[in-house]
Amino acid sequence: MAAALGPPEVIAQLENAAKVLMQTLACSILTALLSEFSSSSKTSNIGLSMEFHGNCKRVFQEEDLRQIFVLTVEVLQEFSRRENLSAQMSSVFQRYLALANQVLSWNFLPPNLGRHYIAMFESSQNVLLKPTECWRETLLDSRVMELFFTVHRKIREDSDMAQDSLQCLAQLASLHGPIFPDEGSQVDYLAHFIEGLLNTINGIEIEDSEAVGISSIISNLITVFPRNVLTAIPNELFSSFVNCLTHLTCSFGRSAALEEVLDKDDMVYMEAYDKLLESWLTLVQDDKHFHKGFFTQHAVQVFNSYIQCHLAAPDGTRNLTANGVASREEEEISELQEDDRDQFSDQLASVGMLGRIAAEHCIPLLTSLLEERVTRLHGQLQRHQQQLLASPGSSTIDNKMLDDLYEDIHWLILVTGYLLADDTQGETPLIPPGIMEYSIKHSSEVDINTTLQILGSPGEKASSIPGYNRTDSVIRLLSAVLRVSEVESRAIRADLTHLLSPQMGKDIVWFLKRWAKTYLLVNEKLYDQISLPFSTAFGADTEGSQWIIGYLLQKVISNLSVWSSEQDLANDTVQLLVTLVERRERANLVIQCENWWNLAKQFASRSPPLNFLSSPVQRTLMKALVLGGFAHMDTETKQQYWTEVLQPLQQRFLRVINQENFQQMCQQEEVKQEITATLEALCGIAEATQIDNVAILFNFLMDFLTNCIGLMEVYKNTPETVNLIIEVFVEVAHKQICYLGESKAMNLYEACLTLLQVYSKNNLGRQRIDVTAEEEQYQDLLLIMELLTNLLSKEFIDFSDTDEVFRGHEPGQAANRPVSAADVVLYGVNLILPLMSQDLLKFPTLCNQYYKLITFICEIFPEKIPQLPEDLFKSLMYSLELGMTMSSEVCQLCLEALTPLAEQCAKAQETDSPLFLATRHFLKLVFDMLVLQKHNTEMTTAAGEAFYTLVCLHQAEYSELVETLLSSQQDPVIYQRLADAFNKLTASSTPPTLDRKQKVAFLKSLEEFMANVGGLLCVK
Amino acid sequence: MCGPGGWVSRQGVHPQCKFSETSAAAAVEAAAAAAAARRQRLDSRRADGVESLRSRELESKPLKMADDLDFETGDAGASATFPMQCSALRKNGFVVLKGRPCKIVEMSTSKTGKHGHAKVHLVGIDIFTGKKYEDICPSTHNMDVPNIKRNDFQLIGIQDGYLSLLQDSGEVREDLRLPEGDLGKEIEQKYDCGEEILITVLSAMTEEAAVAIKAMAK
Repeated sequence: MAAALGPPEVIAQLENAAKVLMQTLACSILTALLSEFSSSSKTSNIGLSMEFHGNCKRVFQEEDLRQIFVLTVEVLQEFSRRENLSAQMSSVFQRYLALANQVLSWNFLPPNLGRHYIAMFESSQNVLLKPTECWRETLLDSRVMELFFTVHRKIREDSDMAQDSLQCLAQLASLHGPIFPDEGSQVDYLAHFIEGLLNTINGIEIEDSEAVGISSIISNLITVFPRNVLTAIPNELFSSFVNCLTHLTCSFGRSAALEEVLDKDDMVYMEAYDKLLESWLTLVQDDKHFHKGFFTQHAVQVFNSYIQCHLAAPDGTRNLTANGVASREEEEISELQEDDRDQFSDQLASVGMLGRIAAEHCIPLLTSLLEERVTRLHGQLQRHQQQLLASPGSSTIDNKMLDDLYEDIHWLILVTGYLLADDTQGETPLIPPGIMEYSIKHSSEVDINTTLQILGSPGEKASSIPGYNRTDSVIRLLSAVLRVSEVESRAIRADLTHLLSPQMGKDIVWFLKRWAKTYLLVNEKLYDQISLPFSTAFGADTEGSQWIIGYLLQKVISNLSVWSSEQDLANDTVQLLVTLVERRERANLVIQCENWWNLAKQFASRSPPLNFLSSPVQRTLMKALVLGGFAHMDTETKQQYWTEVLQPLQQRFLRVINQENFQQMCQQEEVKQEITATLEALCGIAEATQIDNVAILFNFLMDFLTNCIGLMEVYKNTPETVNLIIEVFVEVAHKQICYLGESKAMNLYEACLTLLQVYSKNNLGRQRIDVTAEEEQYQDLLLIMELLTNLLSKEFIDFSDTDEVFRGHEPGQAANRPVSAADVVLYGVNLILPLMSQDLLKFPTLCNQYYKLITFICEIFPEKIPQLPEDLFKSLMYSLELGMTMSSEVCQLCLEALTPLAEQCAKAQETDSPLFLATRHFLKLVFDMLVLQKHNTEMTTAAGEAFYTLVCLHQAEYSELVETLLSSQQDPVIYQRLADAFNKLTASSTPPTLDRKQKVAFLKSLEEFMANVGGLLCVK
Repeated sequence: MCGPGGWVSRQGVHPQCKFSETSAAAAVEAAAAAAAARRQRLDSRRADGVESLRSRELESKPLKMADDLDFETGDAGASATFPMQCSALRKNGFVVLKGRPCKIVEMSTSKTGKHGHAKVHLVGIDIFTGKKYEDICPSTHNMDVPNIKRNDFQLIGIQDGYLSLLQDSGEVREDLRLPEGDLGKEIEQKYDCGEEILITVLSAMTEEAAVAIKAMAK
């Protein structure tokens, strides 16, 4: 090629090539430099202290890093001015762009390192740009920002480079911190940035590879810049920004739907859509900065497009490919696949929130879409039925129409659920203010009677009721879901269950549960203002609420009998039932329904179909039935209720186990099933425990526990039954021990001790082969550890008031303590320790439970530890040492166990006991951990407390350790610093004594110590 | 499917012969003496495998009938399996897969399409052979569940790879193989050391095997 050119061109080209080579080389060196300094995990092992690495990084970021950035910007500027870059040049361009990205993603260390310094040094994921002040001139120079927009416009078609340029812009969009001298400069920067952004993306067709990057930019802007800065930019600019956000959200949503149809592996639009919807949530959550209604139109658009993407043609575009062809595939869905309501919960929460902002539009829209589909579903099912009647056995029904309807209804119910109510955990769910206001605003135009009629007649078409347009829209939306539910129920009665969708059934009960939690028997005291239609329809003492409860109960009963084979659906159903009875007000109405009593009787009789339910569902059902029993009833009714619910359980159980030949027939399947069902029910009863029913439930369960111990003996060879028996004890201890007063607790301890004795007798020297040599084989061990831990938990959480809740049930008789918690637990530990092995600790659940247990014991009964038999003591100490090398959770537990052990030693004042010697060993271990190893800040407190107590106990050994460490230092400066630090560390507590004040002072000094020299000895 | 109750029912056949601890030594001796005579009979049975099972059943018949007067005793009429709705099965429970009694080691559900009905996918391990079996069926279907029993017997001898086990009745049975693998070695070793051990025998669907050992309670 060179031959065709004259000498000057050759030289020019050579020069050029040399320049490119130089630039490439320079860029590689800079990249390597950056990476070396960026974090301790990337730094090379050169045998220097972490402190040294940290200092280097700080010096580097203030000076060199900025120079690298300035240089990079210059190179990029040069490239961006050129036309027609050669392939070689553009590869150099790309390298510099990546370099710029690396600089902008730098995790800046703050000027004062403080105590979290190593932790700060480490985190490198999703770093926001927060440079120090000295970067002000560099980064606030508007030409820098413009350059990156220009660069992106130039290379946006190259997907690899666009990734980097967008990432640079996203980092610039997250700029915050001391770099802004005042709010004004922040406003200017933001305005400028948004202008640049709008100029770049308006009027272009966005490439697939740009979607995620652009949404990151927007999401960073909305998250990082405070609302008052956002609203301070020129109004028009802000409006255009929000318009642009709306437009992008809708368009990414459509593209995300297309991706799903094409089943792409890489769902870029879905990711981008998620980000934008989340940004909306952030933006509208704090809406007092914007005038009312500012976002309404935008919300309508985003909401509409979401609905459109999720509905089938002709209303929507679901499953339509870009050219409008419908695609439909029946894929196998495994149980591991999350339900849409969980998988898309973030999206749905955002859409629900937008729906509330635009309630005027969204609620009527959802209502009409749902009502129309209910009618179609009804018609479709009727046609199928006629077809079946006309030609029974013809199985060639095309389900396409039905499936489309089910999928439409599925999404409409999910959106409705998220719109009308929040998912609250632990808090009292409240009607969202947007919904309440909307209902109140229209209540003067509403006819209450017609509203109640719409609600109360789910079997009729809403539009067939005269005056249906003058009804409360929120109630009408609820009644639309009830209409879906009614069509389902009728189809079941018509024997069309096989045509129904269990998914839709699940959606219905999920929605009803969510709705009932928030709206049913609404507590008016919680609101400033309440909508009249709401309080008339679902308030306390209304016919409406009584009717709905009856309807929901009917639904639950029907589902449990029809859908026992669909575990998730049965589970959602029984959860709805729990919601109905867990609050006393609702339970009072539930128990007035005859159906409730029928359900109780039917379940007690253990006959089909309820006994087909899976065991977790049966347990929850039992729990609900027990909870219902604590509703308000007169004494006679209450008596009758327990006779129906609990007594049969007892009677059946006693009848079985008291048979003369029970021993011989215990392995018969009917007998085993009866026993299993009883044990399952007992677990369910224990789950229903609340402070106001514990007295009754405990006494009831106690009778069983005694008998269960007998069963342990009978079923000693049947591990599944043995495990279930232990589980009953675990549940009772878990739910009730915290409420039990002394004498009752003692009864439970006694029972547990006997259980352990029987278990131990039957398992002594036992070896088994099992086809499943896995964790499950050790289920019994795990359960026993759980039981012991639960018993110990009383020492931490105790709500009992010396048998307060039992007063009137039985006179107290706790005078002589035959059994204490310590006895039970230590007996259990004697049992467990020999069975645990290092191999078993490889099972995470066993390992965690084991360490939790031994830590509890060390904390609560430290005085018992020295009394353990020698080999058990040794294995306990070895376990603790081993645990210190395990996961941080386990390590923390072990450290927590050391403190009380050392305190115990100090109290006993024996200097030759095995425990004393063991603690000396632990002093060294903890010392090394704190001083020499890379420190985990979460552990400082636990390690510090253990350390201090150990130091108190072994002062001479501690001094020795310090001496040894100091004498190994060759650098006099470091020696001095360390010596000073150690002096300071113990200055506030000399001589160290086990005094709380001193300990706290020591912990504070330790923090300073760690901040000061923590990075000095940890070497990389 | 439902096998004859012969073998499996032996435990239930002799309810009245409770094995008391004081008479243990005497019983062991007596049993050991009787064992020699029996062994001869058994040896001839082993020769014709399946046949031996049948003759054994016949042997136990008269006893069984006598006991049948008490309708709740023993396994009178109990079948080797019983049906259960697929969804009510549970992991670590038992099920019959391809005609074999299996422990369920994996149980998962799936559906065809989002609105399809649940199907249950079962993976079981043959409790006797350790072979793996799989099955998939609609969750509304009924599956057969084997009746599983476990009984403890005292080990009083090992001969030609067969265990001599003392039953509650005082009779000795010698038709159970010494298991292969670690458990078998363990049994042999313990026996050789003169330790008194109990052998847990698992039975289901007319088959039996030793599955666990433990020390005798003193």
